[in-house]
Amino acid sequence: MGGWLDSHLVSVVDGVAFGLLLFTLAVGLSLVFGLMDVLNLAHGTLYLAGAYVAYALSDGSLWALLLALVAGVAAGTLGGAALTLLTQPLARRGHLDQAVLTLGITFIAADLLAASFGGEVLPTDPPTALRGSADLLGHTYPIYRLVFIGVALAAAALVYLVFERSSLGALVRAAVADRDMVRALGVDTRKVLYGVFAFGAALAALGGVLGAPILGPGPGVDETVLVLSLVVVVVGGLGSVRGALVGALLIGQVQTLGVALLPEYAPFLLFGTMLAVLVVRPRGLLPSAVRT
Amino acid sequence: MAGRFRRPVGLIALTTGLLLATAACGGGSLKADGGDTGEGPVKIGLLVPRSGIYKALGDDMKNGFELYAKQHGGRLGGREVKIVVADEGESAESGKAAALKLVKQDRVLVVSGVVSSATINGVKDLFESSKVPLVGSNASPTTLTGTHYIWRTSYVNDEPGKALGKYVAAKAQGPVFLIGAGYQAGKDEIEGFKSTFLPAGGKTAAAEVYTPFPQTKNFQPYLAQIEKSGAKAVFCFYAGGAAVDFVKQYRDFGLAGKIPLYAPGFLTEGGVLKGQGDAADGIRTSMNYSADLGNAANKAFAPAYRSAYGAAPTTYAMASYDAAQVLDKAIAAAGSKVTPQSVNDALAKVGDIDSPRGTWHFNSDGTPVQPWYLREVKQGANSLTSELVRLGG
Repeated sequence: MGGWLDSHLVSVVDGVAFGLLLFTLAVGLSLVFGLMDVLNLAHGTLYLAGAYVAYALSDGSLWALLLALVAGVAAGTLGGAALTLLTQPLARRGHLDQAVLTLGITFIAADLLAASFGGEVLPTDPPTALRGSADLLGHTYPIYRLVFIGVALAAAALVYLVFERSSLGALVRAAVADRDMVRALGVDTRKVLYGVFAFGAALAALGGVLGAPILGPGPGVDETVLVLSLVVVVVGGLGSVRGALVGALLIGQVQTLGVALLPEYAPFLLFGTMLAVLVVRPRGLLPSAVRT
Repeated sequence: MAGRFRRPVGLIALTTGLLLATAACGGGSLKADGGDTGEGPVKIGLLVPRSGIYKALGDDMKNGFELYAKQHGGRLGGREVKIVVADEGESAESGKAAALKLVKQDRVLVVSGVVSSATINGVKDLFESSKVPLVGSNASPTTLTGTHYIWRTSYVNDEPGKALGKYVAAKAQGPVFLIGAGYQAGKDEIEGFKSTFLPAGGKTAAAEVYTPFPQTKNFQPYLAQIEKSGAKAVFCFYAGGAAVDFVKQYRDFGLAGKIPLYAPGFLTEGGVLKGQGDAADGIRTSMNYSADLGNAANKAFAPAYRSAYGAAPTTYAMASYDAAQVLDKAIAAAGSKVTPQSVNDALAKVGDIDSPRGTWHFNSDGTPVQPWYLREVKQGANSLTSELVRLGG
């Protein structure tokens, strides 16, 4: 066992890093779709926008990263609010219309970004202080990814506390369970919708800023992360923060440890896992308990 | 709510369907006109990606072709040319749609370009049956043989690997790990490498590994495997974004400097090298071109390209420049009646091409017999080390 762990330690740790990156994306998608019933396929674009912000502002200093975080979150919040505005008129028209609209936005945004940043993948270097590699029990591991794990864990804990343990989170969950009742209590439920959407979008952009050195911005990255986060949402279960976290960590391990153990099955592992989860638990591992 | 559990599945199906459907969209439309009148401009189709993951390659190819035309006063073979660009996109479907438009709607004289192997396989029958020549300047899978209207100014996909096999067998101080992107070009390259590496006495560290393409962004599990295998050198095939990810992670996970990396030149070609930064230092690659070659043709090409587009020319730009040069000669040789058939006949007799890569000519399969070079990345640029071998004959 010790030997096994030693030879796969890096894969396990990297799976955590990758899983947490997916979490920042999937949680917004899951809450917006699961709670608000809005299918937002432009979610990957928010990650891409955040990653481009990180690339544009990065100059090797920690201040630049901090600035990129602020700018990215601001851009994500605005993007989320704009998407709510655009999808609202389609709220009663079903998911296909929403999907077509948000996918159209994805293509327009992708072309605009490609026009301004070019067709290359632009790997963003982490700040100088976080570059290089550390020794992880005898294995080499990039320092930035270790820092990323710490920051993303903190973000995940914060999201969990806000949604599952605070009165604000209770309000959101109540608005989902019985929107009319909440409205009767004098709460403007549209504000709740805008808030959740903007929050999820900001989180995806935050993932983009932090994730740029790991999964750099370039054409097609928006689709890659969108598909991965959809898989996480399906595996984890709709509308729950815990589900998104468990799903993301599982997919993270599948994509690293799973691939290391079974490289010849790498193309099938991702969707194989999804299939297996759907067969055993059709609603995902930890779906929202709010709606039944 | 009964039936709610079905939604996630529907969601995935819907998304996948939409992504696939939209990938098939072609370019815009241009009005068609009649055949050749003996004078006036001839139309040449340029089928290159203007969007998606191959856009950077498409830009280089468009630049190379246009540079040659510009250097020759907008004329090829004495005829004024009108270049019609169509977007190849990322998939065989989008490439086919764009090729169909060029051939059937724009009625171009010839088509050049084509980045992806999937596209060229998909449009093979179109060009063969409509008897319009395709002078491809990149895609060239090993399976594409026995064609009469398809020419390539690039190379056959297994040649970059073939060129490097013997050298690595002599240089590596032990077993070599083979890894590549899991699509046809990747498999062609690895097989090509093995075909010269194994007979030269080379040993592999493990069975070759193909990583899923394009979804592999995190190479950590594979890098762990390489480390565990005890390999003394690595031969890999990656291009574009995957090349950047692979090279950077190769450094970040501590393999660079410990295990030398060899690859077909795409690993460090063009814009990807800038993205890799100092992580690419010391990587040795094989390619049919290096921007610092000293021959006369390259001295007329590389500086002009650099001043026009602000970057060193890549093999993609060079092959496309050569495609224009080949067409220049063929259209001139076709004489007074310039038709797709007469140009195709002239292509077969075009002879030696004085190219920035050195002199080459078409073999009977319509691919170049050309020199291959060994290059090493030094201070962020590919620098020529030596000539390895002449292949294609």
